[in-house]
Amino acid sequence: MMKDQLRAVSGQIIAIGVALLMGAIIILMVGESPVRVFMTLLRGAFGDQEKIAGTLLQTTPILICGVAACIGLRGGMFNVGIEGQLFLGGFAAAWVGFAMPLPAGIHTLAALALAVVAGAAWVAIPAYFRARYNTNEVVSTILSNYVAVLLTSYFTIFLFKRPGGWSETPPILPTSYLPEIFTFSRLNWGLVIGLMLAVGAALVFRYTKWGYSVTMVGSAPKFAEYGGVNVKRQGFMVLLLSGAVGGLAGGVETLGVHHRFMEGFAPGFGFDGLIAALLANGSPVATIFTALFFGALRNGSLLLEVDTSASREIITVIQALIILSVSAQVLVRKRGDSRAGERRWKF
Amino acid sequence: MLSNTPGSPTLHSTAAMAVELTGITKRFGVFVANDGIDLAVRRGEIHAIIGENGAGKTTLMNILFGLLQPDEGSIQLNGEEIVIADPSVAIKAGLGMVHQHFKLVPSLSVADNVFLGMEIRRHGLIDHAAQVARTRELSKRFGLQVDPTERVGLLSVGIEQRIEILKVLVRGARTIILDEPTAVLTPQESRELFQTLRSFVAEGMTVIFISHHLEEVMEVSDTVTVLRNGKKVATRPTAELSKDELVHMMVGREVSFDRRPRASLHGDVVLEVKDLWARDDRLLPALRDASFTVRSGEVVGIAGVAGNGQTELAEVLSGLRPASHGMAWLKGQNLTALSPAAIREAGLAHVPGDRMVRGVDRNASISANILMGRQHRAPWSRGGVLNWNAIGQNAETLIKDFDIRARGPGDAVKRLSGGNIQKVVLAREFTNGADFLLIDQPTRGVDIGAQEAIHDEIMRQRAAGRAILLISVQLDELAALADRILVMFNGRIMGEVAGDDADEERIGMMMAGVAAPELAAETA
Repeated sequence: MMKDQLRAVSGQIIAIGVALLMGAIIILMVGESPVRVFMTLLRGAFGDQEKIAGTLLQTTPILICGVAACIGLRGGMFNVGIEGQLFLGGFAAAWVGFAMPLPAGIHTLAALALAVVAGAAWVAIPAYFRARYNTNEVVSTILSNYVAVLLTSYFTIFLFKRPGGWSETPPILPTSYLPEIFTFSRLNWGLVIGLMLAVGAALVFRYTKWGYSVTMVGSAPKFAEYGGVNVKRQGFMVLLLSGAVGGLAGGVETLGVHHRFMEGFAPGFGFDGLIAALLANGSPVATIFTALFFGALRNGSLLLEVDTSASREIITVIQALIILSVSAQVLVRKRGDSRAGERRWKF
Repeated sequence: MLSNTPGSPTLHSTAAMAVELTGITKRFGVFVANDGIDLAVRRGEIHAIIGENGAGKTTLMNILFGLLQPDEGSIQLNGEEIVIADPSVAIKAGLGMVHQHFKLVPSLSVADNVFLGMEIRRHGLIDHAAQVARTRELSKRFGLQVDPTERVGLLSVGIEQRIEILKVLVRGARTIILDEPTAVLTPQESRELFQTLRSFVAEGMTVIFISHHLEEVMEVSDTVTVLRNGKKVATRPTAELSKDELVHMMVGREVSFDRRPRASLHGDVVLEVKDLWARDDRLLPALRDASFTVRSGEVVGIAGVAGNGQTELAEVLSGLRPASHGMAWLKGQNLTALSPAAIREAGLAHVPGDRMVRGVDRNASISANILMGRQHRAPWSRGGVLNWNAIGQNAETLIKDFDIRARGPGDAVKRLSGGNIQKVVLAREFTNGADFLLIDQPTRGVDIGAQEAIHDEIMRQRAAGRAILLISVQLDELAALADRILVMFNGRIMGEVAGDDADEERIGMMMAGVAAPELAAETA
């Protein structure tokens, strides 16, 4: 057991190393020094306390989305619709925030609760079709993203647009804010929510009957069915929970960072979260670290265009390289058992 | 001869030995799978390699076929030293291997599968007619009955194996290695296979045959090599050996296959099945009008060639497949209306035939595997929270009680051998307090030592008053254990035979579709 885990971890680290090496070659090709780019990234991510707080701020939504993805993966469900759930959750929280005056504290909780409901409701459609007709949830959740993004844009522009401003809703009331942790950064209690979710999910998987059943459905569905687990129902529940956490990620982003909902809000966090979860092999606790890695890349990249001639897009390239080398690494490690690879990536 | 046979000079060599392995040693970490094994296979003989699971048979053959490289030792083919770096070298040298697991393309025809990767071409296109003709010719010559134009996806496992053998022949093999070929075959199919193997040696070819079935080895082989714990015990002409001697060499102790002694315990009816019908995955009727009862303290056997409705029967009784008609009551509760979980609650334990897929999660620990089906109950869980301490201790006890060879309850099931995996399943199912045990192929792919232990355990469960339905394709297993044997053919129960006078002839007739009344009329 320990040896397997050690091998898995070292495999991921090697994969990231290979990706960074390839990234370095590409940086060389655009005529910039890889050392300088990586040092700038590092400085931009961890250079001082504000930078560190900024990195943690970027990490928060990736972490929560990552936990959402982990929940799905554990039950054998590939929720690629976290991005859409995040948008709907973000909008739902904003709506409670600006339209429904409530006492402080309660207001925040109500907004988060509606974000959770919105995320779960949005994934319920693909989840229902999966449970009822065995539709491939990968396709239906991917497609639901586009609808979610455009639907929230429509709400924002045509129904709730702030007069005179950008394509954004009115600001939420301060009673609904997620409190900030430091004075020098917008870093807020969302991070704590994310950490608690990650640890909580790990505990639920390990120590509850439900977690055990879901894990078995994910890793050996026919065995679970034989043992009396209702495979379809648990698959549905897992997607629903995954979507709920995705919606929560949006709520946290609205209440903690933007304090309003706007078009193009929080781009790519859902996908980054999914990748962080895959990189962490579906372990919520390991996702804390992979999410931090992606958060650092994002935050570090802000300094890139200021201090170097490399484009900020280089981090997208590096992320893509990481996905490639991690999936290659999984296939190499389980050579001969290509089904393991298929199951893991499921495309 | 075979038109595709490469003009390899080794074919015309005069050496008497087709294959000679000398001092083959193969280690996996600290585990020594093959320990200095010498093996000489005479040209034109059927040479059986026999041993328990884990004795090193498959490893040795994989080395010969180039799938593994030996750490020490050398290989000679037809008297010439050769390094078999990969299977393509082996194939060129005239070796062919039929593996346990077939690799066929279900959507292609038989002939297309046979010639896959070496298609006969005409004007740059695949010459299907020629492939069909070649396949037909070979299948006739060696008694491998197949329709070359049939799509593989529609065929049974027995026929798939014939296709695999044809693939090997088309590639010009003169020495054919078969790894446990009969594990997937019915007795009739096995007999046909043996005919084919004899026709190979009649044409001067050589057959190496891996098995752990004594009868088969006695029946078909000329020479036997026995392996035990990675070492060679002996190579002897089959004619000089008795079954007892062979068993003794394999396991190092005596094993009995005789009928188990028993006291009559027949109690109340636990399971009653009436007019039960079910469809298979293609929605065709697969179980037809089955009616029978199982009483407590009774082992009822279901005999039959695999694929005659036994799987569907087991799945209906465990709630994994809906019945299309009829009823089945477990202690008065109608099973056909219940979910798998509810049937377990009503008192079912199920040892599934498809052990690796249904019976375990290979990646999970022994503890987690043993937890399945009882995760709802105290002390394993309280208020939805699992008690891993209790679960682990229980697993540890069961590992001892059922003699599961593992390092501990945290061991992943995939690290265990086939027999030990089956013991994990038995340990879980036999200790969950159920009154009705549905046991499907309990010893398939399990070595003799473990087989005996499993049979002992089944008899213990019988003595404890459980009602047992034992489905098996192995007649000797049913004859040893069952109080009554029901024979299935084409989804129907053809008749019943008392275990005490289980007569292979009579059961065989019913397995082939002759109904019991007709048999009675015949003998009258």
